[in-house]
Amino acid sequence: MNPVNTRKEVLEAAANLRWEVGPNLHDSLMEALYTDAARISDRVLSRDDARPAFDLDRTIDRLVTSRWLGFPIMMLLMAVVLWVTITGANVPSSLLSSLFLETLHPALKQAAAAAGLAWWLDGLLIDGMFLAMAWVVSVMLPPMAIFFPLFTLLEDFGYLPRVAFNLDNWFKKAGAHGKQALTMAMGYGCNAAGVVATRVIDSPRERLIATLTNNFSLCNGRWPTQILIATIFIGSLAPPALAGLVSAGSVMAVVLLGVGCTFLVSWGLSRTLLKGEASAFSLELPPYRPPRILQTIYTSLIDRTLIVLWRAVVFSVPAGAAIWLVSNIHLGGASLAEHLIQGMNPFGLLIGLNGVILLAYIIAIPANEIVIPTVLMLTVVSAGLTGVGEGAGVMFEFDSASATLAVLEADGWTLLTGVNLMLFSLLHNPCSTTLYTIWKETGSVKWTAASALLPIAMGLVVCFCVAQAFRWLGG
Amino acid sequence: MSELTGILTLVPAALAIYFLFRPGRGWLERWRRWLRLSDRVLSEDALKHLYHCEYEQREATVQSLSGALGTPVEKVAGLVQRIEAGELATSEGASLRLTPKGREYALRIIRAHRLWERYLAEETGLKEPDWHKRAEHQEHRLSSSEADALAARMGNPPFDPHGDPIPTQQGQLPPRRGQPLTSLAVGERARIAHLEDEPEAVYAQLVAEGLHPLMVVQLTHLSAERICFWAEGEEHLLAPIVAANVSVVPLPREQPVEESLETLAILEPGEQATVVGLSPNCRGLERRRLMDLGLLPGTVVAAEMRSPVGDPTAFRIRGALIALRGEQAANIRISSRRQVA
Repeated sequence: MNPVNTRKEVLEAAANLRWEVGPNLHDSLMEALYTDAARISDRVLSRDDARPAFDLDRTIDRLVTSRWLGFPIMMLLMAVVLWVTITGANVPSSLLSSLFLETLHPALKQAAAAAGLAWWLDGLLIDGMFLAMAWVVSVMLPPMAIFFPLFTLLEDFGYLPRVAFNLDNWFKKAGAHGKQALTMAMGYGCNAAGVVATRVIDSPRERLIATLTNNFSLCNGRWPTQILIATIFIGSLAPPALAGLVSAGSVMAVVLLGVGCTFLVSWGLSRTLLKGEASAFSLELPPYRPPRILQTIYTSLIDRTLIVLWRAVVFSVPAGAAIWLVSNIHLGGASLAEHLIQGMNPFGLLIGLNGVILLAYIIAIPANEIVIPTVLMLTVVSAGLTGVGEGAGVMFEFDSASATLAVLEADGWTLLTGVNLMLFSLLHNPCSTTLYTIWKETGSVKWTAASALLPIAMGLVVCFCVAQAFRWLGG
Repeated sequence: MSELTGILTLVPAALAIYFLFRPGRGWLERWRRWLRLSDRVLSEDALKHLYHCEYEQREATVQSLSGALGTPVEKVAGLVQRIEAGELATSEGASLRLTPKGREYALRIIRAHRLWERYLAEETGLKEPDWHKRAEHQEHRLSSSEADALAARMGNPPFDPHGDPIPTQQGQLPPRRGQPLTSLAVGERARIAHLEDEPEAVYAQLVAEGLHPLMVVQLTHLSAERICFWAEGEEHLLAPIVAANVSVVPLPREQPVEESLETLAILEPGEQATVVGLSPNCRGLERRRLMDLGLLPGTVVAAEMRSPVGDPTAFRIRGALIALRGEQAANIRISSRRQVA
């Protein structure tokens, strides 16, 4: 036989047989491979399928996923974690802040004066960079150091996947994954950590949804802003006995608005931008096990707290420099900050905010923690108030709410400004630490830009609408 | 203050100019390219129509072309002239025929179209109704080398997700198989070979019924008004005009029933069953994920508990407790459903 001919015949036969193998050739091949693998594993692995009379795992599962007790248990655990975090963080937070702001800062200033440092170098390094870093560390570190280990303990015990199991149906309706409940909860501690936590979602589309919407969970750095503004602008409207309740209620309303936005945006994203991303749900409910407490505390401190804190510090140092510089560089008699505030004021007032708030959100992008101190400092600078604050470019906070209110009202703040600041604090771009984390996790400039632009566009629209409604109703 | 306002207006203006005139990728350039493309799209769609007519042994005319393209006859006449000038088709009386060169061209477009549908079905999260529309767009943009690379990446699949053969690199296609569902006799069993994806409204109805290629159907009733048949444990009812868009290959009568009609979705907590296989409807990442979890023929699966809101359900699969959503469970075929001992 002629070999050339044979080869040609074989190829022809193969080409014709191609159509006979049917549409599911690849699937059958793959299934055969998997089945072989399963057969091998069955041969070498023996499993005890007999069921014990009392199965602890099953009993716990019945309890935490039961129709009546499942949700109350979940709420209770979440409330306990938040309560322990908030009350537990107060003491170390004030300790750190007195160490950094009341002891170290003056000491550094004195040392600089003794060394004869130029005023601008001293201001830039100590009042700008050091202060911003100190502020971020003292506000951010204690709550994270408590919240993350607690959360990790629940995860290690095996409870958290059951939460995802209970809530999945609602997330499914928004095109998301049940585990997004966990990344949202993590976001209440820190959005950057929440974004890292989306790694537990192994379906590409749902993971992106969770990443892009994590910012709608009010983070640790934004809670103090919400509470302060709610107390001085909304709580003061109610009779003194109810003031606490009313301001807490208004913060809760903002949190719930955030949850609403998460579902709405998830729903929208899964039907538009992310429609084409591949998706495959799976949720393993691992066996319960006693949490390894020391190991958990160690890893959550290293993996979550310190990494996030380090990123925040790295970003807050240049921001501190920027804050100091804009208030101390003068162009034609006025500081750069005053020029910028003047320039942005018309637009700020149109959407019920003001130039100071917009500038503060631009230069304090590294951390939400320093937004309020920056707002106060810029207000004093731009309103030309004397006798308050620490000087141009030096962030500060008042000890009492009434002093804060006095300064803000002197600059023309109204109830509308307060309400819109609360809304804008929820609906604005994530801090640069979170953005950097999103970029690292997704590896995509496109998704990083989307996660910054989407909330800020929503915030501007919402603030504008509220301002118009407010003015229309108020006459 | 005027410097600042000046800067604030200059920057957006500069950006706008940049995006408009950017070399190669500017909006103006894209708009011009799009105008040129739309001419080519029309003639490529015309060649496809001529090829489909030839494959199905129908006659192609200027009228049928005008109907298929949704373009007035006068405009189609100009289009046909252009195609003939390019030696892609010739007319004999009223009927139009492809030249070998035109046939090769048409097959290249069809190859790109079906490969892209296959790609969308296997590797993205898009659902049936989007495949055809997006492939109609992409077929004109994919060069043949890009199509070859795509085919190689997917392991040179022979069929698209509708069951249509994908032309090979050399432009080969098998002879047409299958007959309309409406041609079956009552009681006869057949396997779905192809779902016609045009017109869109009819295809949407077939998808909504849950029909897909490879499904085994058995005819139970046939009249001028309606056609009834069983498929995967459910009775379906269609208008004959809709059912005519489903092609089937009859199965020999003596072949034993191997298709299971039950799925994991009907399992209540406390019951177990043996997996028979995954529905062909479950593709790509989703299919691999379910196999990763060990959902293979022969695996015993027990339903353990249900979420308090009714979905998902947790199943014991090879010793692990895995939650699956209702629509996933509906893609897993089972047999010998029984109470857990």
